[in-house]
Amino acid sequence: MHIMEGFLPAGHALAWTCVSAPFVVLGARSLKRIVAERPEARLDIAASAGFTFVLSALKLPSVTGSCSHPTGTALGAMQFGPGIMAVIGAIVLLFQGLLLAHGGLSTMGANVFSMAIAGPWVAYGVWRLAGRLGAPLAVAVFLSAFLGDLATYVTTSFQLALAFPDAETGFAGAFAKFGGIFAITQLPLAVAEGLVTVVVMNALAGRRMRIEGAKA
Amino acid sequence: MSLTIDRLSQAGRWRKRAPSEKAVLALGLLVLSLALPPWPGGALVLGAAWGLALGGARISAGDWLRLNLLPLGFVLTGAATLAVEVDSLGLHLAADQGRRAAEVVLRAASAASALLLLAATTPAPDLVRGLRRIGLPPEIAEIMLLTWHFLFLLLDQATAIRTAQEARLGWFGPRRQVRSLGLLIAQLLPRAMERARRLEIGLAARGFDGSLPMISTAHPASVPVLALILGGQALLAGVSLWLG
Repeated sequence: MHIMEGFLPAGHALAWTCVSAPFVVLGARSLKRIVAERPEARLDIAASAGFTFVLSALKLPSVTGSCSHPTGTALGAMQFGPGIMAVIGAIVLLFQGLLLAHGGLSTMGANVFSMAIAGPWVAYGVWRLAGRLGAPLAVAVFLSAFLGDLATYVTTSFQLALAFPDAETGFAGAFAKFGGIFAITQLPLAVAEGLVTVVVMNALAGRRMRIEGAKA
Repeated sequence: MSLTIDRLSQAGRWRKRAPSEKAVLALGLLVLSLALPPWPGGALVLGAAWGLALGGARISAGDWLRLNLLPLGFVLTGAATLAVEVDSLGLHLAADQGRRAAEVVLRAASAASALLLLAATTPAPDLVRGLRRIGLPPEIAEIMLLTWHFLFLLLDQATAIRTAQEARLGWFGPRRQVRSLGLLIAQLLPRAMERARRLEIGLAARGFDGSLPMISTAHPASVPVLALILGGQALLAGVSLWLG
């Protein structure tokens, strides 16, 4: 759910940049700490960021016929934790803007907030909560990816409604309007990403078990 | 696999121009597109960006149109939402007859063109080096450069896996598509990590100290060119305010 370059008025673009900046700075600090302790970690982080970028170039089948791509929000949050995802997400969003014309520089603050902060934190929270409640792995992974995606889409609708309130019904009407229209494509996509993430985690779990078995 | 924007920026006519000149030009236009009223300011910025891309940087019209179509498609979808209103009677055309939607389309189209002008003339590593010079922490800059290297390797691998899956009818029908995409991602993640480990060993053997210097073929910035760019932008802003 990228907001395209120039779509938000300058004041809103600036405000969302200020909201996202502390998260990215904190993420950058923990990234610097990790790299100082373990210099080789920069390669793992770069490979993971490259991987997240490639996800956005892969087409995701959708029930409504429209095609979109996985966000990798939940996968990233489960892999690195939501804190560091803010800075990795910002790097990926910059390259998406510069190499794929997805998103933009002025709207980067808003996009970082929806895709690299809100989405990962919700996905991570759901993942931890479902684990604590004893949900099976597949259910926890599906809910984490599905709700992480939904959180991203609801946040984007919120950002757009705040920028473009309806003339008569104000913010609430605009939020319902943006949410309703985007739901047509985003709900099936969130389900698809949830299912894909379950397949990914199952395949990765199988792989890890086989390697552990081989060592033993 | 090559990305159109990267191919254009690496092989384009402005490849050797100073990144700071291109950044001042494109980002200046981007700021103007956001700061000036969409009409006539946005329209003037749009015209300037398209003129510079097609006439100055000599990007082929087909490539430039294709690059602009994607953001424009997203912008039009979003703007369609602004052109309608919801009330107790249901959905109908906005009271302003879509004026606000048209303004947003004009502003977003001009801003996207300004960004594309930068992206299609300046390779990403040049921009990262520029960011490094204006205060980006070196660790983040190195990770960005490494990410840029990795994403092309991983795109190649993803394309190869996808071709192999398609050859076995793996993308036939929605159920298989979900499964194949999941398996593709699950294959790609360990391969990305494996690549990182191999690169780490290779770099460590060569005394990797955390910096990856690369030769830049770009010329240094020229003060007269920068003055010309800023003068042109001031003129554009002046004309916009005068016409408005």
